[in-house]
Amino acid sequence: MQESASLWVGLGRVIKQAVLAATGAPWVAELVHTLAGVVGILSIILLSALVLVYLERKVCAWMQMRLGPNRLGPFGMFQTIADIIKLMTKEDIQPAQVSPVMWGLAPILLFMAAMTTYAVIPFDAGVIFADLNIGIFFFVAVGSQATLPMLMAGWSSNNKYAMLGGMRTVAQMISYEIPLVFSLLGVVMITGSMKMSDIVKAQEGLWFIVTQPIAFLVYLIASVAETNRTPFDLVEAESELVAGPFTEYSGMRWAYFFLAEYAFMVGASCIAATLFLGGWNGPFLPGWIWFFIKVAAMIFLFMWFRWTFPRIRVDQLMSFGWKVLLPLSIVNVVVTGIGLWLFFPLV
Amino acid sequence: MAQLKLEHNGVTACGTELYLLNMGPQHPSTHGVLRVLLELDGETVVQATPVMGYLHRGLEKLAEARTYPQFIPYTDRLDYVSSMCNNLAYCQTVEKLIGAEVPERAEYIRVIMAELNRIASHMLFIGATALDLGGMSGMMYTFRDREYILDLFNLASGSRLTYSYVRIGGVMNDISPEFIELLRKFLADLPGMLTEYDNLINGNEIFQARLKGVSIVPVGRLISQGVTGPVLRASGIDYDLRVKKPYGIYNRFQFAVPTGSVGDNWERYLMRVLEISESAKIIAQALENLPEGPVMAKIAKVIKPPVGEVYHANETPRGELGFHIVSDGSTKPYRLHIRRPTFYNLGCVNALCQGVKIADVAAVLAVLDPCMGEADA
Amino acid sequence: MFGIGLIKGLSVTLRRCFSKPNTVEYPEQRLPVGPMFRGGTLDLNQEKCIACSLCALACPNNAIELATEKTESGKKALTLYRHHMPVCLFCNYCVEACPTQAIHWTQDYEMSSLTYDEQIIDCMAAKGGAR
Repeated sequence: MQESASLWVGLGRVIKQAVLAATGAPWVAELVHTLAGVVGILSIILLSALVLVYLERKVCAWMQMRLGPNRLGPFGMFQTIADIIKLMTKEDIQPAQVSPVMWGLAPILLFMAAMTTYAVIPFDAGVIFADLNIGIFFFVAVGSQATLPMLMAGWSSNNKYAMLGGMRTVAQMISYEIPLVFSLLGVVMITGSMKMSDIVKAQEGLWFIVTQPIAFLVYLIASVAETNRTPFDLVEAESELVAGPFTEYSGMRWAYFFLAEYAFMVGASCIAATLFLGGWNGPFLPGWIWFFIKVAAMIFLFMWFRWTFPRIRVDQLMSFGWKVLLPLSIVNVVVTGIGLWLFFPLV
Repeated sequence: MAQLKLEHNGVTACGTELYLLNMGPQHPSTHGVLRVLLELDGETVVQATPVMGYLHRGLEKLAEARTYPQFIPYTDRLDYVSSMCNNLAYCQTVEKLIGAEVPERAEYIRVIMAELNRIASHMLFIGATALDLGGMSGMMYTFRDREYILDLFNLASGSRLTYSYVRIGGVMNDISPEFIELLRKFLADLPGMLTEYDNLINGNEIFQARLKGVSIVPVGRLISQGVTGPVLRASGIDYDLRVKKPYGIYNRFQFAVPTGSVGDNWERYLMRVLEISESAKIIAQALENLPEGPVMAKIAKVIKPPVGEVYHANETPRGELGFHIVSDGSTKPYRLHIRRPTFYNLGCVNALCQGVKIADVAAVLAVLDPCMGEADA
Repeated sequence: MFGIGLIKGLSVTLRRCFSKPNTVEYPEQRLPVGPMFRGGTLDLNQEKCIACSLCALACPNNAIELATEKTESGKKALTLYRHHMPVCLFCNYCVEACPTQAIHWTQDYEMSSLTYDEQIIDCMAAKGGAR
């Protein structure tokens, strides 16, 4: 396995050697190296959330013939900072009748789930926090844990609207997990391994979106449903349930949910970029810039969908997930299997 | 949806229950201050009770202390989205009472203004329905295009929402050539705007799936409730006052009345979209035949109608708006009653919401196109 | 199944995304209000006013409070003229009723204030009569 030439790997090496020279203990150097990775991931999440809050409003405004935030800072860039200050200084209201432990834990657990999924995303050759053998499986498993905190939030809020939202969330997320997993199976079958770096390496010649278009479509729809974005945002349907399971949260607690939603959206875009759009492969520019471009394209797609489509109803959502997406993804797996058997017979 | 109840030794061990959800007066999608009490079984509505009256301002009582011309600005504020039509209905009622003749040019201008207002009201309806169903961009496009109409009204009457333009015996003032120029430009741009709404809103499969086949109610129920307007026409009854009981000079215009067949939410929505094109046809015909002349008849400064009562109704974008005036010979009406279409349309919310999901309640309220200023007066 | 309609909708928003926005950046830019705009308060030209009180009589909501007195020449003169903006309907009846066209609208729509009393405008104190 050759050493990657990426900028970030080089940076990590420099940090390790510096700490080794300073302390002389290899385990300290390893620890600092790992911590640098954690800091890197956290900064990616927080920076991307910062930028995305602003970008979402800008893209929304442009699609609606408006200007969006343009008062604070050049082009309104400091709008997110103002939003964060506002959220941090808001009164933290805890209604009297909530179950305090569950109510307080819900946003933290959701954000934890979102953060942990970033551990297996390959930003560049060798720039993965943990290149697990079960990379993509880890992502799906941890990502599906996000269902529980939503239900906790809805139930513990002691509020009918919140409970309705929580129930809808569980139904929605469970229904769309399965097509999501099946759509990723096709890619895993072609690659032969679940390791993220292997999947990206297998796309050096041809991106998987060309050989697995149906899987990409299913993945796109399922991930929009998983991240609770329009047209599947009936969890937080503003015109019906006011705010769904998040109704009783204010200030920083609500900001956690908000951050977690954006973190999940970026995570889903990263997986789409890795599995279908070739990861960090690309000519001329360094790998992580290509990755960034592909993720940005996917995020624009998510936002485009949000500001064009109306919302789907809960029973239509369930019937679409189970009766259309699931058979489609299973058919995709079967066709992929047949294709592999025909063109690459087992020796 | 059947309810579960498992009993053990006469005690309910496990079961489902109906619960009350209040879509209160302050709610993002109840089109104003309307309160709907929902009795729900899970996500399905078992009973929906509308509670109106949060915007009651006592207009009918106020009318007894105002002279006939002085009441016109109050009619503006009834259904504030279609002020011209309200003014027109009231003025025609008073003209019927005093037996006044309106000059030709004023009649044509009245028709142009009323139909323009119908287009504006329906555009607002399309935007509000798109917003209630989650497609927030749809609202921006229709409101932007409605601004053209409001600019036209600003040019003619000086106001953007509450015009008091139609007066007893004619209209407030004449329209300028600049107005006609802008109006022609707007009519030329209108098909492009409608195509955009088709592509973004009507043609969207998700939008159609939300509205098609939902809330089908037998026509007899609607008629017995007194529902009029596009809601009734969607169920197949071809009842449009401009055709059945023409008022003013509406019998001189050629236009079709869109009628549905199934009577679901989709058709209630579609009726209004189709009516926009029909109104544009009427305006084009009126512009062609616009005669010269005065715009105000010779009416006495102080209007003292003979003793008697009169009822006259118009077709507003929401339905049949009627004014019943009882006069006792003085300058102020003895009793003025307003037959408000939204009030009757909202009466069948319960019938429309039987067995639908909560999300559909928002859709039902949206396609009924209520305007609470009118429902409560 | 879903298909063409969704793609058409996406193309509409994409086209609008890259075209010029329709925003008028208030308060730096303001949209012009037409010549007939009924807004703000009443601009009273005291030379033209003959104190006939027709404007106060025409008002549906009694938004004009005026008092007159008889001068030595026997004509009437204004002593008090207040426009109660909170109850004004902006219906234009007063302007139309005036026989000498002494009152007009100031066409100012930025009329918010901190107290209720500031909304009752003393039209005689404000030097009107520009038109």
